[in-house]
Amino acid sequence: MDWGKIVRQGLIGGVALSFIVAVGLFEAFANRMVIDPILTSGWVLVLWVPVVFGYRATRQVVPDGATVRAARPADIAAGAVTGAIAGAVLGLLVVITSAKPDVRDTLLALSPSLVQRLSFGHSVGYGFGVLTLGGAILGAIGGGIDLVPQVVRRVVSTVVVTILGFAFGELVVGDILRSLGLRSVDQFFYAQSRGLKPLGAVILAVVFVALRFLLKGKFKAIRERIPLGTGETEENRATRRNWFLVLGIIALAAGAWAPNLFGLYLNEVLSNVGLFILLGLGLNIVVGFAGLLDLGYVAFFAVGAYTMAIFTSPASPAFDAPPQWAFFQALPLVLIAAALAGLFIGTPVIRMRGDYLAIVTLGFGEIIRIAFLSDWLKPLFGGAQGVLQAGFFPGEQRGGIIVQWGLVLATIGIITLIVGLLRLNATRLITAGKMSDIRAYSQPVTIGLLVAGAALTIFGLVSPGFAVWKIYGIEPPSMFRITLVFVALAAFVSWRLRDSRVGRAWMAIREDEQIAQQMGINIVTTKLLAFVMGAMLASLGGALFAVKLGSIYPHSFEIMQSIIILVVVIVGGMGSIKGVMIGALVLIGVLGGPTQPGLLREFGEYKLLVYGVLLIWMMLKRPEGLWPEARRAKELHQEEMLQDAWLNVEPASEGVSG
Amino acid sequence: MLELRNVEVVYSDVILVLRGVSLQVPDGRIVALLGPNGAGKTTTLRAISGLLDVHNGEVTKGEILLDGTPIHTLAPQKVVTLGLSQVLEGRRILGELTVEENLRLGAHTARKELEENLARVYDLFPVLEERARSTAGYLSGGQQQMLAIGRALMSNPRYLLLDEPSLGLAPIMVQQIRDIIVEINRQGTGVLLVEQNAHMALSIADHGYVMETGKVVMDKPAAELAQDEDVREFYLGLHGDEVASFANVKHYRRKKRWLS
Ligand SMILES: Nc1ncnc2c1ncn2[C@@H]1O[C@H](COP(=O)(O)OP(=O)(O)OP(=O)(O)O)[C@@H](O)[C@H]1O
Ligand SMILES: [Mg+2]
Repeated sequence: MDWGKIVRQGLIGGVALSFIVAVGLFEAFANRMVIDPILTSGWVLVLWVPVVFGYRATRQVVPDGATVRAARPADIAAGAVTGAIAGAVLGLLVVITSAKPDVRDTLLALSPSLVQRLSFGHSVGYGFGVLTLGGAILGAIGGGIDLVPQVVRRVVSTVVVTILGFAFGELVVGDILRSLGLRSVDQFFYAQSRGLKPLGAVILAVVFVALRFLLKGKFKAIRERIPLGTGETEENRATRRNWFLVLGIIALAAGAWAPNLFGLYLNEVLSNVGLFILLGLGLNIVVGFAGLLDLGYVAFFAVGAYTMAIFTSPASPAFDAPPQWAFFQALPLVLIAAALAGLFIGTPVIRMRGDYLAIVTLGFGEIIRIAFLSDWLKPLFGGAQGVLQAGFFPGEQRGGIIVQWGLVLATIGIITLIVGLLRLNATRLITAGKMSDIRAYSQPVTIGLLVAGAALTIFGLVSPGFAVWKIYGIEPPSMFRITLVFVALAAFVSWRLRDSRVGRAWMAIREDEQIAQQMGINIVTTKLLAFVMGAMLASLGGALFAVKLGSIYPHSFEIMQSIIILVVVIVGGMGSIKGVMIGALVLIGVLGGPTQPGLLREFGEYKLLVYGVLLIWMMLKRPEGLWPEARRAKELHQEEMLQDAWLNVEPASEGVSG
Repeated sequence: MLELRNVEVVYSDVILVLRGVSLQVPDGRIVALLGPNGAGKTTTLRAISGLLDVHNGEVTKGEILLDGTPIHTLAPQKVVTLGLSQVLEGRRILGELTVEENLRLGAHTARKELEENLARVYDLFPVLEERARSTAGYLSGGQQQMLAIGRALMSNPRYLLLDEPSLGLAPIMVQQIRDIIVEINRQGTGVLLVEQNAHMALSIADHGYVMETGKVVMDKPAAELAQDEDVREFYLGLHGDEVASFANVKHYRRKKRWLS
């Protein structure tokens, strides 16, 4: 046994445990149940620690080619010791806290109720014992994981994932069940916002374990029947792209209808996710495509919001007789204002590079916010009071936009049509060239896209839900739908830009400015274009934000916003459109945005802590992001790439996604 | 004709690197520019293609003329559209992009002739067509050099400026690059070839210049240059019985030209 390692891992685990408890995360989650009276999510936050560290303490790093040491019973003991050490450290914290109550002066979370909870209603000595013993048991599980047959491990992991998934997804599942009229089902499984009922948990676990074993291999069989192909031939890649397109369109159409199923909260969360996807896609053009690190991106978000607000609000400070335009009337102005702001900020800073650019844009972002806050511009933007009643309309109580799914379907239909037409053009090129084999299957897809696009457009236009200009009143589902439309547009624009001449020029600038110049690319205008495109997408987000909240204050546009948007892009995968969407779903949807709550509301003010931890972990383990663009992944794994090249191995990752 | 007249280049306002360089590249010819490390060959190419700006350099005297019109004040992207294309030292391909994307990038200024030029490049370098969809970073050094040259050709240049294309390549690859340069030239593109490998350069050039510390010290038809004693000794590595030291053979004729 490697005692040094065991003690080290045990102590690290203990520090992790103490940290989670001492910052108050444990208490914050203490009232959110996973399984109603048995397990709170606070304990879930704590229990994983000894398991993981028990596992780590027994695992050895195996250099390539060396034989792996088989797991042995002694690992269980080693894991148990590690876990016990970790548990004892936490126990010690409890003992110290009860002995010296004045630690509360610095660490508020170390309250008597916490001591009570962690000593299980008995003396602290008892608590210490239980924590150490519990740590030992969990650590033993971690250490012995490799000794257990695979079937058992599968069952356990399925049970854990199912229960946690359903417990934390209560909001989503419950909402959907209720709107489907299945309130009784909801009540059977859930203890009404208090987590799963024990019986419900058992049933779900059994069902999912059964499903897992019954369906084992079935998905693979189905996947194999779909001609997806695994090899990296041009044909396979094109097929995959086609499937992606088709699935994307289906998902969008379903998304247009889905908000009817969701309750208020879920709609709210989803439109926040959409908002951040929009902002992320915009920033992705600037940072991901063109490689310009812009830390003042929130400025454009603010410009969009303020422009929308002053032109739609009846209380607009900028006008004696406020124009009170409708959302879509003000939208062109919003875009123009953002483009001008992009030029205004971009022109002076565009010649700077890297860190300098980051710092200067950071400054500009603040300047814009302070300008909105200033007394000087108060007659226009209302200073600290901001602009109230954005998107309110005469005679209506709460203004804004209702977007029915008819409009959404029509928009998606039109995008689909354009995609189809673009492909038609591509097919013609191919006919002239040599890749005639692609034609055989890309034509049916093109025709399919055209037909589907036309059908969606017509259906959307004639459906009673197609109401754009004159229906007022804002409700979360319609907010979500309009966000969806904007996101679809932004994704489409990003995608087309990326594969265009401009997109290549951006990538060239990102990689080697001198080469870009040598290729005849005008660096200044190309960079400015990236800035302006990003600014316009951000302003769309701002416009939505304005009518959604109804009141716009300068403090909604602090640096934190810029940083969170950047984190969304980084965590998702810089330069990757899919990545931005995943990033926003995970961060904004689950954890919540800077001011918006996510599905795990309890994180509350700990959100930033989790963001930070996640970011560090990502940078260490997966610097290319959750769902990276193939290129970016390559760049960051150059070392391995070089080795592959040296060993003459074709990399498996090549061209997996475009 | 591409012509440099007495060009002086200063970096960072103080470092004088070119001290009155004059040379000519006639249409459709190959001109070799030789010289030791640090002579200012790359700087000369930068001055022509307008890339000095990036390096904080500046043409302070003299002029660079393309068919009689001065071009040294133009931005690099403008110079490219006038038909001058430089292949930078050390290849500098964009490793993450595919081979074809690299080539398409080269056509930034010549969108209309993209398909023609692509066909032409693939014709010159069949290996690039084979690897069109693979990542450029995985190409071998020689293939990367081919890609760099191909990319420069995508802008349909009248003059190709090559900066040490044989750098770090095996003799057989050097041979291949050499043949390709000849072929490109045969198709009507003028070439200004900067080389350390004087043997290769002089075997295909019509005319040659030798630079040393920012000045042209020799200027002769390539065939004559290849016979010159000093060149043979320092650049071709062929010397007689006595091993000459650099100091006692430094007796280049310096030509008086225009102003200097
Ligand atoms: N950006 C710069 N700033 C200051 N000095 C520079 C700069 N670039 C080059 N120099 C100097 O100019 C001189 C000529 O450099 P240049 O790169 O033109 O040489 P070269 O003939 O191409 O050499 P090599 O054969 O080694 O490539 C060198 O002394 C170099 O140090
Ligand atoms: Mg050089």
